[in-house]
Order: sequence, then C-alpha cells, then structure tokens
Amino acid sequence: MSSVPLIEIRNLSKSYGDKLVLKHLSLDIYPGQVIGYIGPNGAGKSTTVKILTGLIPDFNGEVTVNGLSMRNNPQEIKKLIGYVPENAELYDVLTPMEYLDFIGKLYDMEEAQLHNRARKLLAAFGLEANADNRMDTFSKGMRQKVLLISGIIHNPQIIILDEPLSGLDANAVILVKELIMRLSKEGKTIFYCSHMMDVVEKVSDRILLINKGEIVADGTFESLKQDHADTLERVFAKLTGRDESTHETDAIINAFD
Amino acid sequence: MNKLFLKLIALFYPMLERSGVNVSQLYQILKIKLLIDNRRPKTAFAQNRQATKKTGKAGNIWGIYLVTGLMGVMVAFLLFLFKMPLVGQTVYFTLFMVLLALTMITDFTTVLLDVRDQYIILPRPVNDRTLTVSRILHIGIYVSKLALAQGLPGVILVGFADSWAAVPVFIVQLVEATFLSILLVNMVYLVLMKLVSPQKFKDIISYFQIGFSVLIFGSYYLIPRLVDTTVLANINLLHYAWAYFMPPVWIAALNEALIHWSRAGALTYVLAVLGLAAPLIGLWLVARVLAPGFNRKLAVVATSDGNSTTDTVTKEKPGFRLVSRIANLLAPDPVENAGFRITWTLAARIREFKIKVYPAFAYVPIYFVYFAFNSKGTGLSEKYEGLQHSHKYILLIYLSTFVLASILQHISYTEKFKASWVYYALPISKPGKILSGMYKAVSTLYYLPYCIVLGMISVYIWGPSVINDIILATFAGLIYGLLTALFLLKGLPFSKPVMVKQSGGRVAVSLLITSFVGLIGFAHYLLSRWEIVIWILIIPAMGLYWLMMHYYKKQSWESIEVEEL
Repeated sequence: MSSVPLIEIRNLSKSYGDKLVLKHLSLDIYPGQVIGYIGPNGAGKSTTVKILTGLIPDFNGEVTVNGLSMRNNPQEIKKLIGYVPENAELYDVLTPMEYLDFIGKLYDMEEAQLHNRARKLLAAFGLEANADNRMDTFSKGMRQKVLLISGIIHNPQIIILDEPLSGLDANAVILVKELIMRLSKEGKTIFYCSHMMDVVEKVSDRILLINKGEIVADGTFESLKQDHADTLERVFAKLTGRDESTHETDAIINAFD
Repeated sequence: MNKLFLKLIALFYPMLERSGVNVSQLYQILKIKLLIDNRRPKTAFAQNRQATKKTGKAGNIWGIYLVTGLMGVMVAFLLFLFKMPLVGQTVYFTLFMVLLALTMITDFTTVLLDVRDQYIILPRPVNDRTLTVSRILHIGIYVSKLALAQGLPGVILVGFADSWAAVPVFIVQLVEATFLSILLVNMVYLVLMKLVSPQKFKDIISYFQIGFSVLIFGSYYLIPRLVDTTVLANINLLHYAWAYFMPPVWIAALNEALIHWSRAGALTYVLAVLGLAAPLIGLWLVARVLAPGFNRKLAVVATSDGNSTTDTVTKEKPGFRLVSRIANLLAPDPVENAGFRITWTLAARIREFKIKVYPAFAYVPIYFVYFAFNSKGTGLSEKYEGLQHSHKYILLIYLSTFVLASILQHISYTEKFKASWVYYALPISKPGKILSGMYKAVSTLYYLPYCIVLGMISVYIWGPSVINDIILATFAGLIYGLLTALFLLKGLPFSKPVMVKQSGGRVAVSLLITSFVGLIGFAHYLLSRWEIVIWILIIPAMGLYWLMMHYYKKQSWESIEVEEL
C-alpha cells in the first residue's frame, strides 16, 4: 500500500442554513483501500459523497484527490472517479447501449472501445439480451446493474458506490461483493456507503463511521471489534447512541395495550 | 430535423470552444436530450390526446406540431382582420408570444427541472459552461421547432394579407418574437428563482400553468363577445402611450417601417429599432445579471423533492377541524371516512391534479358569460339587463357540473399511483365505500361550495326567487356526477397511472349521460315558471340521489379496474 494518500480531506465543513451537517472532517484515503462508509440517516454521509463527486461545489475546507484540488480542478478529478448514485436515476427512455454510449462519450472515450466494453460489461452482468431494449421496462435490479456499469465504464481509479445493492437479487449481490474485492486487488480505491452492515463488514478493509457530521470510528473491522463490540451492527448501535436496553421495543409492545 | 439543428449548431463550434465549451460533450448531451424528447410523451395537450406511456413514439411529436401549426393558422388569419397600421400584426405577435410562452412553460418546465441531470451529467467531467450552453441550446432547438410550426402559416398568409415583400420581414419578426418569448420566460424563471424557495417555485410555476390555460380559454371565448372588433380595427395604437412599452408593438413596427414606410412616422422607426435591439439587450441582461448561479439554483430546485437539503418542512396541521367534522358527519362508516379523507387531502395537495382540475372552476364563468352575453343589444349594460330578464341562471348551475365532471375525470389518476397498493392489500370487502367517500369528498368540498358561490351570485343578479332552482339544479348535478362515477369512473382515488388509453365505448356513455343532464336542464328550464313545482321536485331529486348513493356504496371489486402495480 502506498504511503501517499489518494484522497485527502482537511477540515471539511458544510452547512445548510445554520445547520452544520459536516463538522471539520479530516481524512486520508490511500490507493487500493476499500472504505466502508456507514452512519445513521442524516449523519452527513450523502453530503460527503456529493462533495467528493463534485456535486456540491461550495464547502469549507480542503479536498484533494490525486494531488488535485477539488476547488480548482473539479473536472480533472471527476475523470478519476466513477460514481454510482443512491437513487437509481437514469434516462429510462434510452436503451442501456444508448445510455452507456452517452456516458462514455462524456468521458471522452473512443466509440469502438466504448461499445466493445459496454457490450462486454452488459454481457458480464447478464443483460446481453436487454442491451437494446428501452430501460423503462427494466426491473430495479436491472437498472441498478446498468448504473453500476456506467460507474465503471471509463475504468476509473476511484469508485464511489452509494447503496449499490438496492434492488439486486442475492446472486447479483454476491457478484457485486466479489467485484468490489477484485477491483480493489486491481488497485482501485473504493468508497462504499451502505446501511447493510454485514456486507460492509465483509468487503471493507477500513470502516468509517460518521455520526452527526463527525467521524466517530475509523479502523479495520478487527480493531473496531476490539475497541467496541463484537459485530458491526453493535458497534454502530453503540457509537451512534442507540439505547442498549429494550426501551424502544418495550414502548412498541406497550402501545397495543 | 434534429440532425439539421445539430449541424446548424456545429457551425458555431469554433466560437463556443473559444468560450470554454467542450463541444464534443455538448454534441453528445444535445443528441441524447433530443432523442429523449422524441421518446417522451408530451405533457401539453395530453388531455386531448390519450396516449399510453409505452406507445410514446415519434407520432406524438408530429401530433404536437400539427396542433401547434393549426393554432398558427387560426392566429394568422388575424392578419387579415385589421386594416389600420400595426394593429393586426400587434395582435398576431401578442398571441404568438403568449402561445409560445405558454407551451414553453407547460411543456418545458419538466425538462428544465430534470432531476436526473444532477446525478447523470454532473458527476461526469462536464464543466458548468458546457452544461449551461447545452441547456440553452436544448431550449432553443425546442422552441425553434415550435415557433416554426406556429409561425409558418403566418409567413405564408402575410403574403396575401400584406404584400410578398412582407414575407422576409415577417421571418425576421418571427425570430424577434421567438427570442423575446424565450427571454420573457427566462426572466420570469430567473426572477422567481431569486425570490422564492425551490418548493414554492414549483407551486408558482404550476399556478402559472393554471392561470395561463384559463387566460387562453377565456380570451378565446370572451374577447370576441365583449370587445367590439370594429372599434379595435380602427384604433390607432400610436396614440396610446402604453403601446410604446409593448414588445409586440415593436415587432409589428418593423413591418411598418420597412414595408409601409410611406405612412410610417419617426416614432415607428424608433420602435422598430427597439424591437431589433430588445432581444440583444435582453440576452445580455440574462447572461450577465440573472444567469450566474442559475445552475446551482436549478440544482437545488431539482433535488429539493428527494433530499432533506431544505429546512422548511411544511408541517400540516393535524386535523383541520371543520373538514374533520364534515368528514365524520357525512361519512360515518370507517372505510368510507378513510376514502373521504384521503381524497380530500390528496386532491388538495397533488400538484398535477390541481393543474388539471382548477382551470375548470374558471371555465364555467367563462362559458356562462359566453352564452349569457349572446343576447341582443349592443352595449354591455344592455346585455346585462337582457340577462336579468332571462332564465339563464339555470344554465349557470347546470354548467357547473363541468367542474364535477372534470374532477371525476382526473380523480383516479396520479403519477404516484403505486401507493394505492394499500387498497388492494387491506381487507376491504366493499371498495364501493371508498368510492362513495371519495364522491362525497369531492362533491362537498369542491362542487357544493362552488354551487353556493354561484347561487349567491345568482341571487344577487336575479333575486331570491331563484333559490329553489339552484337547489334543484345542484341536486341534478350531484345525480349527474354520481351517474358519471357509476359508469365511467372505474378506479379508486389516485390509483391509476396518468394517460391510460380510454376505451372508445366510454365516450359514447359520457355523451349519453351529458345529454341526459342537458335534457333535465331543459325540462327544468321549461318548468321554472311554476315556482311551486320546482320546490316539490327537489324532494324526488334528493330521494333519487340518496338511492343512487346507496347502490354506489355497494360496488364490489368486480366493477373496479385494478391496476397492476
């Protein structure tokens, strides 16, 4: 593992109105790492991802990717990043091939290589037969696969995945999990956001837990286990301040009385 | 057609490239956007053309242009109407610009506020300028096509109405008008975005849409009735100072200045130059003053639905007292009560429903004025007096069934129809109860207040002796609505996707029901001289309504079309 961080975040803050959603975040991410980024809803996860992908241009602090500053060179940084957003947004009146052609060309890819790669990837994800059908008839899982492909089509160095497993069936989940590990072996850096603790536990070699705009835990799963609790779920619950006792469930059961 | 536009734009690539636009990305974005437009079912005129989502093919596009072209023909005949200088062309270009702006706002807001761009294009290495230019050009192409369809008839007809030399000038004028319309819409958008919150913005745009459709409808029916065209035709616009500030006058002035230069004064020349300069000044204004930050604002508007970035979460007051009371009083059965309340709340909050239904409230008075002022007499006051001595208030109330029909036509459709799974998943043995709750909700909350207002107006105009007629007609309207609901409304409230093809048989049934009501209305009109008969007739009408409601409530699942979710 290289000792020069690929992504450097220094003192990153972001507020909406007077609500501070990220509080002076500082992070170093090294090439080849698989980062599992977890945290409760509203903790600032999506905001971090949106800043990293250049979707939110105004923030306080410094974000540097591969020596480039996000403030001065967002376009160069975007070329290095493949992003699979959380809400499965795509132009669904297009076919996967048309869509991938569009995306690839925005990355300045050459048509022959792009089409070749798109076909191969679609085939690998089991969408060969649907490559030229409009996506408005696709199931959620099929759309998610197209999105995943559109995130890696330009062979990026950094891949940011925001809940990439939503809607996928069990076999596809296995495929994506294996894919994440393989990509990491190829030297890709992966930033993986999810609520599925069991998957994060398995694929990530470094876990970041964010709560109320601050990183509250940072380390391998093993180290988190030693410091806090035996499963990631418990670590999560403990650090995000969920009551250990059965108060909540008690209250629910009592509501029927 | 699209290829032609793309080629045309390609001519400007060197210039665009110098200003920092990545032209190959620009080409890709425009190409894909135009492709999407072609496949997207159009929203404007969708009420007339029932089209299913999946058959949204290129045919639709040509349909739109055909309709637009036909409107263009109608508008273009105005060029023949007026003999005085400026007037004909001013009226033409006013209508041209209003129609264009209207179509832009109704049809293009969704495209402009496409949320998906935020997730699809923004994370790619596309710079702001490229995206902005692509957006402007996309709008430009779209509007140019519309303007072409709408303006072409004018181009030809102006040759007959004026002279052949006027044709090339007319083309320049059309370009002016198109530019000014784009700028106008743009400025409205930009100013609104600077002033109001994103959520409000969408609401305001939808009220704009409602307002505009009422305006078009109203001016189409009423202007010929209320305005004496012979007076208008002889007007000399330049005598009025307000005319100097009207962009259509500037545009029309160009024709005067170039074709009829013998009769044009210095003022006309000034106005003509102003018309030529205005688009350029406007463009500069938009680019320099209003556009900065437009993209970012747009991003906020677009994402405000899905994300918690907005702090202003509207808190609905739990249980608006009066409505709660009414609901419990009229629909005591729990299932029916649920149907009542869900219909009431959703109808008041779903934007697409409001856009489609609210104009109907304004159509009724417009129709009424249209029919009422049909009587003899020249001045408005004479017409009003004639109205007072007629029995046209009956017409007014019967016309208001239009509101009910419009609501019932749209009540079962929404884009988010999938939420209706609850109806099918819950153990509801008699869905008729939900339907009756729905019907009671829309009739008490929309139709009855409307009738009361109309009734008060009628009493004001015709005196208290019309009360019995109003009550009877209201019940007839309720019966009509129930008939419509029974035979035509096969879906639960807000449970079906928008724009599902309606079977042809329904149109016949709908006509049958409407003519039946027309017949009742006519009978009512004949009987209306005997006051006591009307009072007595109210009783069987109420009984009939009650009886029908009783059966309506008993509808089972077999008679309801269940949408596949």
